[in-house]
Order: sequence, then structure tokens, then C-alpha cells
Amino acid sequence: MKGLFSKGSRSSGTATTPSTTAAPVKKDLAPQISPLEKLLQEMGSIRDDGSDKFFGMENYGNTCYCNSILQCLYYSVPFREAVINYPQRTPLDSLEAALATNLRYQNPNAHLEAEALAAKQKASSPPSARQAGVPPNQPQKPEDKDSPEYKKKVALQTLPILETKNNATSYGMSESLFTSLKDIFESVVGSQSRIGVIRPQQFLDVLRREHEMFRTAMHQDAHEFLNLLLNEVVANVETEATKQAFTEKALPPTESADSLGMLTPSTGSKSPNTTRWVHELFEGTLTSETKCLTCEKVSQRDEVFLDLSVDLEQHSSVTSCLRKFSAEEMLCERNKFHCDNCGGLQEAEKRMKIKRLPRVLALHLKRFKYTEDLQRLQKLFHRVVYPYHLRLFNTTDDAEDPDRLYELYAVVVHIGGGPYHGHYVAIIKTEDRGWLLFDDELVEPVDKNYVRNFFGDRPGLACAYVLFYQETTIEAVMREQAQEDLASATGTAETGEARQNGSPLSPPLAHVQSASQVPSHDTAPFSPINRIPTAPQLSSHAEAPEHETPPPLPVQSPVQPPLPPIPDEPAPSLSPKKSDYQLRRERAREDKEREKERRAAEKEKDKNEKLRQKEQDQHNREMQKREAEELERALKASKLDVNELGAENGSPRKSGFGFLRRGSRSISQRLNKEKEPRVSTSDVSFTTPVPEPVPEALEIPRKEVPRKDVPRKSESLQSPMSPMSPMSQTSPKDIPLSNKQPIRGPAPLAKDHSASHEKSGSTHRWRSFSFKKNVNSVS
Amino acid sequence: MFVLPPPPPRYTIPVAYAAGAANGMAVPVVETNNTITHPEKGCPLQVGEGTYTLQDDLLLATPPPHPSEAPIVNPNPLATVPLPPTCGVKLSLVSLDPRKKPPTFLKSAVTAPQFGDGNSALAAPPVPAKDALKRRKPKNNIIKSSSSFVSRVITHETSAKRLSDRDPNGVFAFANINRAFQWLDLSSPTKEEHLTKVLFTKSHMLCHDINELTKTSSHLDIVMGSSAGDIIWYEPMSQKYARINKNGVINNSPVTHIKWLPGSENLFIASHANGVLVVYDKEKEDALFTPEQSSSSDKEKGKLPLEILKSVNSKNQKSNPLSFWKLANQKISSFSFSPDQRHLAVVLEDGSLRLMDYLKEEVLDIFRSYYGGLICVCWSPDGKYIVTGGQDDLLTIWSFPERKIVARCQGHNSWVSAVAFDPWRCDQKTYRFGSVGDDCRLLLWDFSVGMLHRPRAHHQASTRKRTSIVAPGTQTSNRHRADSAGNRVRSDSNGTEHLNGEIDQTASHPVEPRSRTALLPPIMSKIVGEDPICWLGFQKDCIMTSSLEGHIRTWHRPSDSVVKS
Repeated sequence: MKGLFSKGSRSSGTATTPSTTAAPVKKDLAPQISPLEKLLQEMGSIRDDGSDKFFGMENYGNTCYCNSILQCLYYSVPFREAVINYPQRTPLDSLEAALATNLRYQNPNAHLEAEALAAKQKASSPPSARQAGVPPNQPQKPEDKDSPEYKKKVALQTLPILETKNNATSYGMSESLFTSLKDIFESVVGSQSRIGVIRPQQFLDVLRREHEMFRTAMHQDAHEFLNLLLNEVVANVETEATKQAFTEKALPPTESADSLGMLTPSTGSKSPNTTRWVHELFEGTLTSETKCLTCEKVSQRDEVFLDLSVDLEQHSSVTSCLRKFSAEEMLCERNKFHCDNCGGLQEAEKRMKIKRLPRVLALHLKRFKYTEDLQRLQKLFHRVVYPYHLRLFNTTDDAEDPDRLYELYAVVVHIGGGPYHGHYVAIIKTEDRGWLLFDDELVEPVDKNYVRNFFGDRPGLACAYVLFYQETTIEAVMREQAQEDLASATGTAETGEARQNGSPLSPPLAHVQSASQVPSHDTAPFSPINRIPTAPQLSSHAEAPEHETPPPLPVQSPVQPPLPPIPDEPAPSLSPKKSDYQLRRERAREDKEREKERRAAEKEKDKNEKLRQKEQDQHNREMQKREAEELERALKASKLDVNELGAENGSPRKSGFGFLRRGSRSISQRLNKEKEPRVSTSDVSFTTPVPEPVPEALEIPRKEVPRKDVPRKSESLQSPMSPMSPMSQTSPKDIPLSNKQPIRGPAPLAKDHSASHEKSGSTHRWRSFSFKKNVNSVS
Repeated sequence: MFVLPPPPPRYTIPVAYAAGAANGMAVPVVETNNTITHPEKGCPLQVGEGTYTLQDDLLLATPPPHPSEAPIVNPNPLATVPLPPTCGVKLSLVSLDPRKKPPTFLKSAVTAPQFGDGNSALAAPPVPAKDALKRRKPKNNIIKSSSSFVSRVITHETSAKRLSDRDPNGVFAFANINRAFQWLDLSSPTKEEHLTKVLFTKSHMLCHDINELTKTSSHLDIVMGSSAGDIIWYEPMSQKYARINKNGVINNSPVTHIKWLPGSENLFIASHANGVLVVYDKEKEDALFTPEQSSSSDKEKGKLPLEILKSVNSKNQKSNPLSFWKLANQKISSFSFSPDQRHLAVVLEDGSLRLMDYLKEEVLDIFRSYYGGLICVCWSPDGKYIVTGGQDDLLTIWSFPERKIVARCQGHNSWVSAVAFDPWRCDQKTYRFGSVGDDCRLLLWDFSVGMLHRPRAHHQASTRKRTSIVAPGTQTSNRHRADSAGNRVRSDSNGTEHLNGEIDQTASHPVEPRSRTALLPPIMSKIVGEDPICWLGFQKDCIMTSSLEGHIRTWHRPSDSVVKS
């Protein structure tokens, strides 16, 4: 063991090559079957509706927001079917032809062979491994086979890779986000493999081409992306439809029959016979009732939504958040309501209720809240429970089917301490394979109870962020419950077993090892990367030899997530290493931080970390000794650790996920261009039903601007380089208003269009509705 | 102006161990003492009869992790390994004072037969006359135990003295917190100091119950169910214990709720997380359980689903279990015995409330929550009503004789974790019950028969301030029809308690739409803590709650209120 350790640490010292061509290196050569593969055994023949495909998605550096949302949409059955069938389904032959080039099977034993190779090389001479393209630091990493990084890498190396190509012409459309989404969905459905990894490069290309704000490799908001994507799909589809209609008119009938012949029948057959299928799935109607307290007149106004953004309270439930969403609100003081009846600003009572329930209810939990004292968004770690089933209490009296039953089928989880960084994963209930965790490349079956780990009260900074509920019936629910396998029972049986044989030998050892990850992780990845991103990580790894006695080595494996094996993209490979640390550090100091200060602090911290690491090692050794000792003694000994352990508090906790935000850049880099259409169009939809516009200065800031957007918009107006300075000059109270003003310029113009938007089916966007009360505090 | 506080220091102590920390509790690293505080401002509960004043807030010390369970410094939030279940603090209270017994509302004495009456295999062996009054104790000494299940026992240095000096009518409390199980004397001036604290190795006790029949000043029979499925029968006075369902030999699924069979010295029922109800005998040995009967028998009679894998009438009663019923493959959250000791109301994670005649091993009826799982259940003291609480943030009142929903009670902002009637404030016509939930709130509710019999539409219009009657949509009328098919209003609603043996053929009731169900608002709602409240109890002189992290709060009843007895 000792030899192995020292070798490991030495090699880790040389592990600075940014080469990412690494093959994963495993010690055991026994062919392994992943939990997903196990789950998919005996599934019979491949279906043609895509319900039996379970593909991971490659992360190109902070594209997890996209991956998680795409996965959720893929498993939104009616949405998937609509995408595949609109405007028509690509015939299987041509799809297969395309797939022949797109789907690349890999040697499922690739990683095993690579390991064997590496093992051999390691046995002979570690340095040579480098020449072979195997970073010598690899051998120690795969020790933690359970680390998500390792699993992702294996997935990328062994599973079939599905790369989509633009196939838009065969749909009779020009390339757009919709067609590239359709490309992905169709190729997955048409693939002969049940599992694999999608490379959504083409989709991202289109996304970045069309939307400047996604061009950076920055962390994006998954909810915003969802909203944008749905709006974009609506827009693409409608544009194409009008174009088609136009060409159809222009072209001689015979020709149009030829070119569009396929389109018409297919649209009629399977599902979307109109362009409104997105609306039919996600869209609902809100009614806001405003009662003027002077004349008692109730004015109503309908607005459509594609998702609902609800404010959160500590220790609440989604039910309660939705109820609060519809709670009565007083419009008074600066927020007075302009009553058409009395003709003037009056105090009024207002509430928003749901008039038409959507088939798919996308709920955005507003975990990122603007704090005025810090002048930035902050993540709320409130405990918000969400049930597997839901009905809405906040419906209007005349709503159709007000008791509609919804079932939870997808959860987008945000992991991380703040809004500008972190990681997204999706947990999705598939049609017949239970719940699965989609973490970029990794797809893993999970227990049903796992879905409840993200209420926001558990360590690890993981919280549910977007919830997808779909309509269902009580009969379907009962049928499913009756069939539900005793997954939980087996789970508990396992834990029971673990407890029974709780022989303190194996598990504690593992734990101790994992404990020692902390220091090495902390010190290692962050400093070099932050300062000189390209610098080799020598310094950090050089610390390893400092250990007087070899520390339990395997520990270090999870610490440094194995380089993501994206051979042609060296840059992202660095990201996993810094990710978590940064995220935490930032959270602590984000507000004031300037680069210099940060560096200084980091230097100090480095030192501290080193010290701490030593302490930690010592501590770990103690722990191991202790295990052998008696209970009582151990208890006493643990007292000694209080300080040490307490000290760890300040040090970042390391969690097992890998692809986190790369830099700590502020959101200000978003370009306001991207924002503008959304703002103005949201005005559009809002004012539509009201002929006489309400004084916007009063009305809009109250609820038009979802709180979340406020700072972003305001920041986006600032120069990207100095996000803080202009902000700090304005008084916090004024920010939302003053920043809003310039953007609101186009609003009146847009309003004019709005009158006809229903007919023209123009491409305006539906915003998600936010609960508005909080904004009161702003104005 | 509303300023958001900085992110709360959620994990003041980062080192935490698997179950506790993973379930959101901060876990210390050393053994600490319970603390008691007397909040200055208090947390008064104002209701019609007066003000309940907060007497004190006793914080139970969360035990440190077992040394074999090394701290997880950096929990992977995405780890897919299922975590062992744990739960917040629950209390079992016991008093020998006959005056503290809750009033009874039954018109006649309980006449329910003993469970398993008529099975000669269950006939109690003759007891020698001299032993008749002597309680049988478990075999093993828990202090000297070498079991890997029990970690150690911490006895207070003066506990013997405190026990002998105490008011014999005082209230004992038993509380689980994390892997510890504490014995407290609530009548002691130093009630925060435990008498005994048992630390288990890894499992957490999730539920416990004291046998009301066998309690004496020198003997208490306690059963507790653990997260591992094991059940401990514990006698605190002699510090003896026995393990039942050892290593989950009968059922290895966590015990979610446990209760002594009313009127039985030896038998108790445990519900397990895999949807199984098991009757155990504390005196019997375990045996590897193999199902005895197939479930086919219940289908032929058109009864409601209940798989009797071992009937109490089985002739093989040498060992545990006495009976073994599988209700569903969903977790049983809780259950409650009817005051007449004949029926069992069981609530499950699948959102169903199942009414059982457990003596006859039959399911009588199944109701469903508005949505989401049900968490807690209790009976009104007269046995007429059942109240459930669940993940729909609602309490639902069901009429047992009429077999229908009576009202939904809206007021919680999160899941309802416990509900209990206050028998001291109930009479023949009005009922008082309380509920606590994950929203850290304590709510009190009053409902009366008269009020609930009001016409629905009218009642609703008044409570919800509706201006128009609900426009009947097509869906609603459909539901109407489906509903009337399953509508079997009982005519014998005056016959209060027993509904003997009439098996209902109807499978299940449709979920009542919101527009046709009475809605009851609370009379009092108060945030009483900063962490979810998970238990609620009414005593003659106080209301008590306990929370996830171990806060036990006691409110004195208003002094001027007339307490009926």
C-alpha cells in the first residue's frame, strides 16, 4: 500500500498536463454493468416513441442548464411527441441514414483496456504513461468509482455517442432552435441504442448564434432558458407556419402539393395540427382581479403564462407558495391603481387566480432573490416541500376542472451557493422505468424518495429549482401506486443490512478517506487556476509529498474530479476542479471582491489550507486508530476534534459534482440586447386586454418585472467591466425603476402591436409570472 | 422596506453524520446536556377560552455520532445511496395520576373482545397465583449490554434519588432524538436533566409507546420501533430490554409507528415502511417469517384489499408475529385505534386512509386525500370522527358512522405532521383539535356538529367570501355522478360507536371536489418555533409540542378556563 501511495502522490505531482485525452484508468478489469444498464435489462424490442431511450448529455462547460431542461422536455411525453411529429416525422429510413453518421458506437470496454494499459505502464514506469496520453494522475482518481465525475467519464468513453446534425431542410424549415431540438429528439428516438450520450453541440451552436447571452461559457439560469426555449419554439413554429402559408399561396398548387404534401397529412394525423401545441401544453391563463376600493368596481384582465414563478417562504410547501401567489394584495401609496371608473389613482385590492389550468405546470421556485443591502442576487435555502401530486387551490370560480390532479414528473435541481455558478441536474420520472437522475453524461436510476432530497434543508446546497407537474387522474395514480415496486423496501433493506453488519471496518475506512479529501481539494485546484488559469497545478499537488506518513490515498481521488474526457476541448476540463471551491468562496465574499483583494486573501488562505490539511491528515490518522479502540474512548477523543472540525466550517465543503461554474464572473456580462425583447414583450402581453393603458410607472414595477430580473437588467445596463460601481451610486430604492426606464422605451410601440397579436400570431413571448408582492418593498 | 438577512448559518456544525445530518439536522460532536429556556416574551396562544402561556422550551441534546460512523465532511448532495430514515422528536407521556386521565365520551364501557379471542393457540398460559400481580420484565440488562445494537446508556448520577423522591403522580416523558432515547421526569424541578439516556449504535428510534394497562410505579412497558426495523421492548425502572424482530428477521423495513393493542398487556402493532402491519407479542420469540396464507381469499368475497400473510387465527402461534397484514406496497405513515378499541384508522404515503376492523382482520373502507400522502391520523374521543393530515397542507375530517368526508381544514403552510384531539375541550357537540406541521406552526381548530351540518354551498360561500355560486362545469357534473354512485350515507349515524361487522362492498370513494366540501378555518395559528414541529400532545394542564431538532415546548392552559373532567 505504501508504495502505491507514494507513487500516487508523485504522479499527482506531475499531473499537470492539461491533456484531456486521458482514458479512465481502472484497476479491476471485471466488466461492469452500470445501474442504468441493469435497469434496462429485459426491456424487449426498441419502441418507436422514444420512451425507452435514456441518453446522457455532454457538458461543454456550464451547459448543464441546457442539458437539464432538455432532458425534462424530452420526458414531457406530449411535448416530445409534438416536437417529433411537427411538422412531420422524419421517415425512419432517412433518419437511420443520418444516424449512421451521427451515432458513434464506442468500444464498451474502452475504459477497461485503457486501465489495463495504464496499469501496465504504471507498473513499468509512471512517466511513460504521459507519453501514452494517459495522465499519470489518473491512477489514483478512479479509486472512487462512485464519484459522478468518474461515472460521467466512463459514460462518455463507453456509451454510444450521438451527435446531431442539422436536418432542418428535411422538415421543410430553416434551421432554428426548434429544428435543432427536433434533431436531438428525433435522433434519440431513432437510435438503435437505448443508452448513450448526446452531444448537443449543434443545438448550442444555434442557441449561441441566436442569443448573445449564451455565447459565454457562463452559468445560465435554467428557468430563464426554459422560458426562452419555449418562447423560441413557439416563435420558430409560427414563423415557419406563416412562411409556409405564404409559399403555399405563392406557389402553383401542384408544386406546393409536392413540396408540402408530406407536411399536411402528417400534421393532421398524429398530433399537432396547429402551431399551438406548445400553448396547449404549457400555457395557462391567469386572471387578475382588481377591485377599486373607492368605487368597488372589479376589473379583470387575463394573461397567459407558460410557467409560474412563485416566491418562497421558509418552511413552506409549494401548495402554500401557490396560494400566496394568489393572495390578496393591496395597491396603495406608491402603488395605487388607476381606476377607469373613478378616473384616477385609487387604492385597490388585487389578486391573481388561475383561470385556465395548463396541462403541464412548470413551477419556478424563486430561489434567487435580489437583496438590496448586498445589491445582488442571493440564493434562498428555504425548505420548501413539494408533494408528488398537486392540485391548485388558486383557481377562479369559473375555471374548468378546478380540481385537476397533477403529478410531479421532473425536478431541475440547482446545486451551489449562488445564482452565478453551480450545477444543474434533472431528476425525471420516466414512463416505465421510475425515477432517473440526469447529471450531464450520467444517467442513473434513483429511488423515489430521492426526489425529496431537494427541499432545501439538506447539506450540499442542492435545492429544487424548477418543478414540472403534468395532469393525471386519480385512477392512473392508483394504478401506478399498485404497481410501484418496493423500491423503497429494498432500499431500506440495504440500509438495514448495512447497519446490522455495521462492522466498523469497511465503511468507516471509506469515510475517513473521504474526509481527507478536503484539504487536498481545497489547496490544490483553486489557487493556480484562479490566478493563472493555464498554469500547471504543480503547486497544489506538490503538497502531497508533505505528508509525513502516506495518507489514505484513495481519498484524493474524488477530490480532483477526473478530467472530463473531451479530447477536443481542453478548456472545460479545468472547470470541474475549481468549481466547488469557488462557488463557496464567492458566496462568502462575492459582494466586495476585487481581484487583488481576492488574491491576497487567497494567498493567506492557501497557507491556512496547508496548515489545515496537515491537521486534517493528523486527524484522519487519529480517526483510523480510534476505530480500533473502545467506544467510550472514541467518544472522548471526538471531543478533541471539535476545534478541528469546527475549523473546517470555513473551508469549502466538497461535493461530488463536477461541472461547475468556471469563473466567478458576474452576470453583468449578459448583454442587455438580449434582455430587451423580453421586457418589452412582457409588457405587450400584459397590456393586451386593457385598451387604456395603466400608468406604467406605477403598475409595471410592481409586478411586471419579476424580482429576479431586476438586478440582472439593471446590471446588464452597466458596462460589463464594472458591474458594481454604477449600482452603488444609485440608492437601492431607485434601482428597479431607474433602470427600468430606459428599457421601457420600446414598450408603447410594442403595445400597439399587441392589440393584434392574437390574430397575427406574432412572436411575442410569454413571460413567466412571478409573485409580485416583494416588489412592493422595492418601490 | 424589507431587507433580506444574509444566508442563515444553516449548518453551524459542519460535521454531521449520515442520517442526522443528511436529514437536515445539525449534529454535535460531543455529548451535550439538555437545556431549558423560559422565553421572555413567551409564545402565547390566544383563543376564546383564554391565553395559553408558554412555560418553557426544553431543548434535547442531539447526541454525537457513533464513533464508528465517521463524519461525512462533504456530503455529495447527489449521492444516490438511500439514506436510513430518521424523524424528529416524538414524546410518549405517562402519568400514574388517575385524575390526569382524559375524559371519556363513550356511552358504554368498552366491550371489544381481546385480539385473537377464540384462537386457543393464543390462550394465555396459566399464571401462578403469586406471580399474577408481578410484571414480567425483559431479560437483558441494557446498561451491561454487549449488544452491537445498543451503544451505551448514560444514567444521571442522582437518578435513583430523584426517582424515589419524586411526586408519584408526576408525568414521565420518553423522547427519541437522533440515535438517543431519553427518559425525562417532567414534574421534576430539574426536568431538563434526563433520568436515563440510551444511545443506540446506528439506528434511530422512530416511534415508541407506553402500555397504559401495565404501568405501575415500578414498572413501565415501552416498545419502540427503529429505523432498522428492530423493535425494543424496554422497561426503564429495571433497565431491562428485549429485542424483537431482531435484525429484521420478521420484517426488515423501518418501523413507522408502534402502539400497544388497547387492553392488552403483551400485544402491540407496528407499522412498517413497506406497507405492512404486524402484531407482535412482547413475550414471544422471533422466528423467520414465511407467509402462511395467500391473499386470494379476500378477493372472492369482494372485500377490500388486505393481504393476510399470517392471520391471528393461525394455529401456529408459538413465535412472533401473531399476525402479518400487508395493506399496500406504500409506506404506512401512521395509524390510530378507535376509542372503542375495535377499529384502526391507517394512513399511508399513497394518500389513502384505510379503516380496518382489526379484530376481524378486514378493511372496511378506503378514502383518499385531496392529493399527496397522508401523514397523521387520530380519532375524536367519541369515535365519531377521524381527522387526517397530509401533504396537501390540509386536515380532513371524516365521519366514521357516515363514511364520508365532513370538511377540509385549511390553515397550514406546509405538510401537517401531527394531529390530536383535546379531550378536555370536547363535549358531545363540539370538538377541539390541534395540529402541527412542517411550517413550524401550531394550529387549533373547533368544529361542531351543527356547524358542519350547515348546507355546503352556504357554508362555503360564507367562509370563502364567494360572490357567485360555482358555475357547474362539465367536469364537475361528471364527478357528481360518479360520486352519487359511491354515496352510501349511513342511516345509523346516531348509533355512535359500533358499526359492527357490516362489510362495505364499495371499493373506494372518489375525491370530493373542492367546491362541494366544507372548509374550516383554524381558530388559532401560531409559529411556535424555527424548525418543523413533529409531535403534539394535550394534557390536562398543558399543551406540548416537540420539534425536529428537539425543542419540547409546554404551554399552560389558561388558568381561568373551566376544565371539564
